[in-house]
Amino acid sequence: MSLSAQLPVLPIVIPLLMAPITLLLPKGRAPWAWAVLCSWLAFAASVAIINNVYEFGVISYHLGDWAPPLGIEYRIDLMNALVLVLVSGIAAVVFPFAYESVKSEIDERQSPYFYGALLICMVGLLGVTITGDAFNIFVFLEISSLSAYALISMGGRRDRRALTSAFNYLIMGTIGASFFVIGVGLLYQATGTLNMADLHAKLAGQDNRVVQSGFAFIVVGIGLKLAMFPLHLWLPNAYTYAPSAVTAFMAATATKVAVYVLIRFFYTVFGFDFAFEVAAFTYVILPLGIAGMFIASLVAVFQEDVKRMLAYSSVAQIGYMLLGLSFATTAGLTAALVHMFNHALMKGALFMAVACVVLRTGSHSCHAFAGLAKRMPYTTWAFVLSGLSLIGVPLTVGFVSKWYLLQASFAAGHWYAGFLIVLSSLIAVVYVGRIAELMILREPDPDGPYALARKEAPLSMLIPMWVLVIANVYFGIRTELTGGVAERAATALMTMASGGAQ
Amino acid sequence: MSASSFLGLLVNNPAVILMVGALMCIATPRHLASLIMLAATALSATKLYSMGLGEYGTIMVFGETLTTVRIDALSRLFVIVFHIAIALNIIYAWGGRDRAQNFATLGYPAAAVGGVLAGDYITLFIWWEIAAITSVFLVWAPGTRATYVAGMRYLAIQVLSGVLLLGGIVLIFRETGSLEFNLIGLRDADGAIKFSALVIFLAFGIKSAFPLLHNWVQDAYPKSTISGTIILSVFTTKLAVYSLARGFAGTTELIYIGAVMTIFPIFFALIENDLRKVLTYSINNQVGFMVVGIGIGTAGALNGAVGYAFCNIIFESLLFMSIGAAMFRTGTSKATELGGLYRTMPITMMFCLVGALSISAFPFFAGFVTKGLIVDGAAEAHMFWIWLTLLFASAGVLEHAGIKIPYFTFFAHDSGKRPKEAPLGMLIAMGISAVLSIGIGIYPEPLYALLPHQEQIADYKPYTAYHIIEQLQLLLWAVLAFAVLILIKWYPPEVPSVNLDTDWFYRVPGRGLVLWAAGASRATWNATWRVLSDQIQNVMGRIYAVHGPEGQLARSWPIGFMALWTSVVLALVLILSFLA
Repeated sequence: MSLSAQLPVLPIVIPLLMAPITLLLPKGRAPWAWAVLCSWLAFAASVAIINNVYEFGVISYHLGDWAPPLGIEYRIDLMNALVLVLVSGIAAVVFPFAYESVKSEIDERQSPYFYGALLICMVGLLGVTITGDAFNIFVFLEISSLSAYALISMGGRRDRRALTSAFNYLIMGTIGASFFVIGVGLLYQATGTLNMADLHAKLAGQDNRVVQSGFAFIVVGIGLKLAMFPLHLWLPNAYTYAPSAVTAFMAATATKVAVYVLIRFFYTVFGFDFAFEVAAFTYVILPLGIAGMFIASLVAVFQEDVKRMLAYSSVAQIGYMLLGLSFATTAGLTAALVHMFNHALMKGALFMAVACVVLRTGSHSCHAFAGLAKRMPYTTWAFVLSGLSLIGVPLTVGFVSKWYLLQASFAAGHWYAGFLIVLSSLIAVVYVGRIAELMILREPDPDGPYALARKEAPLSMLIPMWVLVIANVYFGIRTELTGGVAERAATALMTMASGGAQ
Repeated sequence: MSASSFLGLLVNNPAVILMVGALMCIATPRHLASLIMLAATALSATKLYSMGLGEYGTIMVFGETLTTVRIDALSRLFVIVFHIAIALNIIYAWGGRDRAQNFATLGYPAAAVGGVLAGDYITLFIWWEIAAITSVFLVWAPGTRATYVAGMRYLAIQVLSGVLLLGGIVLIFRETGSLEFNLIGLRDADGAIKFSALVIFLAFGIKSAFPLLHNWVQDAYPKSTISGTIILSVFTTKLAVYSLARGFAGTTELIYIGAVMTIFPIFFALIENDLRKVLTYSINNQVGFMVVGIGIGTAGALNGAVGYAFCNIIFESLLFMSIGAAMFRTGTSKATELGGLYRTMPITMMFCLVGALSISAFPFFAGFVTKGLIVDGAAEAHMFWIWLTLLFASAGVLEHAGIKIPYFTFFAHDSGKRPKEAPLGMLIAMGISAVLSIGIGIYPEPLYALLPHQEQIADYKPYTAYHIIEQLQLLLWAVLAFAVLILIKWYPPEVPSVNLDTDWFYRVPGRGLVLWAAGASRATWNATWRVLSDQIQNVMGRIYAVHGPEGQLARSWPIGFMALWTSVVLALVLILSFLA
């Protein structure tokens, strides 16, 4: 049995085994270095997997050699391979970045626990992505969520409000997970299977109350996890008060994985044969997506706290993804996938820039950003560039996303959605521009707490941050990498959803 | 696409070469910067020459082929004159600009060159927006509050044009599936107006300053620095003229729009006191001639329109430069404060006269050899009223640009000012422009060889007895009219335009009508704006109340409330699933 045959399980097994060891390491640098090593290994394995899938097609790995549908199956097609690369890639960039930021924000004695939890969180997210088993999704979702609650509460040393935010998230996350598991239970009752490919086959033709309720519970449960407007209320506080590095990691990955699960259920488990799915697209996902795009963006405009502003902007960006996937066309799904990937790049970079500012000024209030261009030029330009990407300026990934979305909305006949996309992008100009103006054109109050001497963030933070910023431009120019993979993945999903075999 | 081919794409684009030069200027001292700018312009021109006609720099993006550089007869003509204008401007204010202006002096024309060379809509859009953004630095250059605000207004309008363009592009792409920038035409085969085309038409219209969309020109341009105004006067409107010629040649609506454009600025120009502002009105009027030519759309008229654009850039710059030189020495460009400068600035005065004669289309000057093509075009298409309008407008050009500018600056009443002659850099730049203006007038064949419709221009003779007599009659009557008006003191005198004499108001009803129309439209605008801004403030207040940090949508809600929302959404989805 060679290692390459076991490749699909590696991104899960490596961190899962390495995480407990973190707790045994001495406090300080060691747990961090261990976590970084682990994230890089996971990333390498994920890249190997996507290469494999790209060349040879879907991988089906049977855990413990128990054949599905009884055994747990890891089923990797291009879509989850893309999400795997995304999650492990963001981890591979954010973990090295985290050291200085975490050192200043968290009690050093907690560092083994912190990095242990961070690794567990990553495992959970990777597990949700990789598995082909509906109940297994629930298990991994809970693994990632529980560690996320712990991670967020560690922000309590800087701001006690982190504790209530983590608690609120805990309650809401648990409600979401419970809804999800209720939904999966209902589907199990109707079909007697938990394997998603098998579910798809056995659900065919079953349009009864049990299946309908299962569908509703799953949509709302996952909707909570991905912060679909108006189920997003837990997110702004959680992102604002979590330790900066945790925010950067979670904002770039957690909601994206939830979007992935939603797509998986919409397009693989259910399909367009179910009238209720089409109705949910038209009357729930599309309007809530658009409402989120506008309302969350407008709220972001008025925020005094930059982290909070970016958190609301995340809710708005989720709206774009929901809009894309609700078109139920290949183009729309491609746009949603591309935006999922691209938004992780821009939000990761933005929250990393905020982390740098917090390290040097001790605050993420917008007043702390005044005049930063002179004191922290590299951080400022990283923020501005990724901000431009968030707006959707050409030559950045944001433009690619918006372009795909515009194309998709016109092709789907939703021409008004195209205008709404442009209109809501204009709101993004306002909230990004507001901070950019503060950073570049204003000076801090000379007697205030933020009139500090010039001091740039350390290299260990600048390099990972700029890696993401450059990725923002690189994938903005070489669109065939993300766009091509996403389009192939979307085509495969569409065949499945329209009733074809995988 | 590999990295090396992407690099090759950049190196082989003249606009990128210019843009790199512009970026280099940011970090260099001013005299060195001027040198770098000139070198970049020369390099870009050589590149252009060595490339020759053809399409270059094609890339595949989103499965669409983009042509980043397209050199054909039409775009070649515009890039050549753009390069001439860039070089003239660099020389004109050699070493006299700060870093931001140095950057914009090259970066903004670079964007215009890029736009003209664009073979597809996406490339055009990108350069279109870069031109908007880089040019605003010139408006901001004086650094006062007034210029800052004017710059913001300017930017808003320019970006609006870009947004319209993008919207139109998306619509067109949906309709045709092609991104290639070619003839669009406003109407489809049945004669109905195409919505997509209309959106793009508006985007072009804003930039070329169609009537009622023109105010940004007079608002922003005269507020820039001396050299800034000259640069601004060249590129934005001419990029738009090029785009119209490419996309909307032969669109009948353009004839009437252009005709109005040639007429209405004349009245404003006649009563305006600030001579730089007079010249900005003359930009509108001049672009009007080109728009008419494009609208007529016959081979001759199109040749005339783009040829006239070529010459206009040179002599319009020359006029701006001479007024700029006077302003540089005296600190003002107001007719009331100038006058009698011929005593100490004779060379500048001569150059100004050359510019004035050219813009008035005197025989043996650059305007004559190309304007005739447009006017003939109207006549040949049997558009009597348009033809008459153009003749009338030509006379008007003579009044406000041909006579008013040199007369009030260098002659008229003696202001008592005895400034020194213009500095050497300015004289050289004006000298080159003057030589070109006369040179093209006497020997137009090289310019004719560049025009897009060679079959038409081959047997065109500008110097026929009919042409010369027609033009001279027109000009002489106009000069006579001016002389008479001055003698009987009916010509609008140089007054600071805010202090208007009331008896003038009654004695010249035509002028009163103009003033009334201007005042009425201003009042309407102010009133609408007040209502609008009240409305906007209201709306913003309401948005803030709901979305602001204390608003319902941004508060941190208790957990029960979040759970309630969850159940509401669940109920909604459940009901939907059951009903569907």
